Amino acid sequence: MFCVNCGARMADGANFCGSCGRPVKHEAAPAPPPPPPPVAAPTPPVPRPPDPRFEPRTPPVAHGAAKCAWCGATVDATQTACPKCGASLGMPSLVARSGWAQLPGRKDMAKLQFGKSSCQIEGVYVPVADMNLAPEDGVYFAHHVLLWKDPQVNITTMPLKGAWKRMFAGMPLVMTQAQGPGHIAFSKDDPGELVALPLQPGQTIDVREHLFLAATLNMQYDWFSTDVWLRTQNGDDTETHYPCGMFMDKFFAPQTPGLLLLHAGGNVFVRQLAQDQHILIKPTALIFKDPSVQMRLHFERPSAMFSGWGYWSNRYIWLLLSGPGRVAIQSVFEPVEGESRNMTSCSYATETRW
Amino acid sequence: MTDAANLPMGESLERIQCQWCQSMNPKTALSCSACGAPLDIRNLVSESGWREAPRIRDMTEIHFSSSTCQVEGEIVPAAEINLGQGDSIFFEHHVMLWKDPNVPLTLMSLAGGMKRAFAGMPFLISVATGPGRIAFSRDATGELVVLPLHPGMELDVREHAFLLSSHQIDYSFVRVKGLTNILFGGQGMYMDRFITTSTPGLLILHGYGNVFERRLAAGESIMVEPGAFLYKDSSVTMQVEFQKLGPGFFGGTTMSLARMTGPGRVGIQSMYVHHKTE
Repeated sequence: MFCVNCGARMADGANFCGSCGRPVKHEAAPAPPPPPPPVAAPTPPVPRPPDPRFEPRTPPVAHGAAKCAWCGATVDATQTACPKCGASLGMPSLVARSGWAQLPGRKDMAKLQFGKSSCQIEGVYVPVADMNLAPEDGVYFAHHVLLWKDPQVNITTMPLKGAWKRMFAGMPLVMTQAQGPGHIAFSKDDPGELVALPLQPGQTIDVREHLFLAATLNMQYDWFSTDVWLRTQNGDDTETHYPCGMFMDKFFAPQTPGLLLLHAGGNVFVRQLAQDQHILIKPTALIFKDPSVQMRLHFERPSAMFSGWGYWSNRYIWLLLSGPGRVAIQSVFEPVEGESRNMTSCSYATETRW
Repeated sequence: MTDAANLPMGESLERIQCQWCQSMNPKTALSCSACGAPLDIRNLVSESGWREAPRIRDMTEIHFSSSTCQVEGEIVPAAEINLGQGDSIFFEHHVMLWKDPNVPLTLMSLAGGMKRAFAGMPFLISVATGPGRIAFSRDATGELVVLPLHPGMELDVREHAFLLSSHQIDYSFVRVKGLTNILFGGQGMYMDRFITTSTPGLLILHGYGNVFERRLAAGESIMVEPGAFLYKDSSVTMQVEFQKLGPGFFGGTTMSLARMTGPGRVGIQSMYVHHKTE
């Protein structure tokens, strides 16, 4: 099958051209409307031809199936970007010698597909996720990440169980949901990267709080206590700190594949931990992990020639991650609270004294 | 003496010199093995004389002693060190991003640690010793600056701006002199001072935004926003001066600028808002 617009080869049954993004007319299905231009202002929708500067045409190469290194989707070898997660295909993946892989490069304006809808990721510094929702699709998000939307896109709140718990944890009290058809776009106010995580049916992922940008409505959302905490005392003041948050978000795709968008600060690195492989990471640098990855507190006390005043002041707090499973970290992190205070108790932890 | 006939296989006499750190590299190298600067990009110097610090390409490897440093990412780059046996690096512990559980950590004892603790600086400098891997990054968008350090150099660096240094470099700190400099200098009471020994080492700074460097001739001076100051040769003097804005005896406001006077190098960063430094 070939695209009527740019001539690129695409997979049979695809809803969009992976090269220029043009929707495909299927004989049986009713034709989807031409995509309105992705602009913020509610201008009358004028169909615009794809801009050749942003939608480079690539000559069709040998037909065959390729696999996206990031999300594992089987894609047509003629495509330059994975239609599921937007990662550039055919580019060597950047893996450091230590085993951390960088988030795959994504061309500006890369387009990914979910259900009958699509999402275009615009910008490379503070990227925007620009969604074109089909009538039957919807997304949910925390309202403060909404950048713009078409006036006709309907926004409603989504009830959450145990909302009061979220309030104490400083999380958004309500989730907002948007239903197609129409355009809606999200961004967060920090330089960083947009992480697109397509979830297969039955797949679950744990995400550190405040990183969630948007998810498709077919995905279940839940949260759980991280059970990573430490209590410090200063005089009569007792404080409890949660180095990687009090709660973590959990996303689950029950029957149909879902799409999860996260925003991370700085650069993003991912690695696969083998069974019983351990790594120490800054607790505030965690982005997501497979549920199979275990985490706990770990303290390191560097050796010193002198005893030092304030024994606790030379104690470093780490999050120890144990495989098997995939983990991701970001290069921008906040200081860990309570690191240099007198600790009275903590969740299960291990310690190394050098 | 080596002559062309005795060179190992694949080696050629032709070398290219890195414009940033002056190290010699094989003709085929794309980036300098000592500082990571791209070798196929010309020195970028503005008409006013500021030279842009080289933007290190993603995944570039830098070699020092028996260790390597790989720079990853281009928004907020992380420096990942693979320490060789016997090599060590020192740093402020809050910049650690991740590490292998088996890399030993020790504390470097510093004279005047107490004074520094009161000045809000970490008076504990941590040391990691090889073999093993450990990675570092900072809290905001910027660049990693690998400074060319040749024997006999003394460099003053804004406090908290240094990411890591190899153990061959001597570390101390100097007090910023003069009350006006402390109160209005926008950078606190202390500067880190790095002194090179006869063995080459590695010093990596993190600058917010972009980093530019300029070499001042003896007696030449330039006024710099104090918060933008990143590093200078110790031969460059720094004095905060007040510039009166607006007319009137009581009206108008004053702003402080640092006068840097040569001879030597001055490095500045383009994003000089005050970030939380802890």
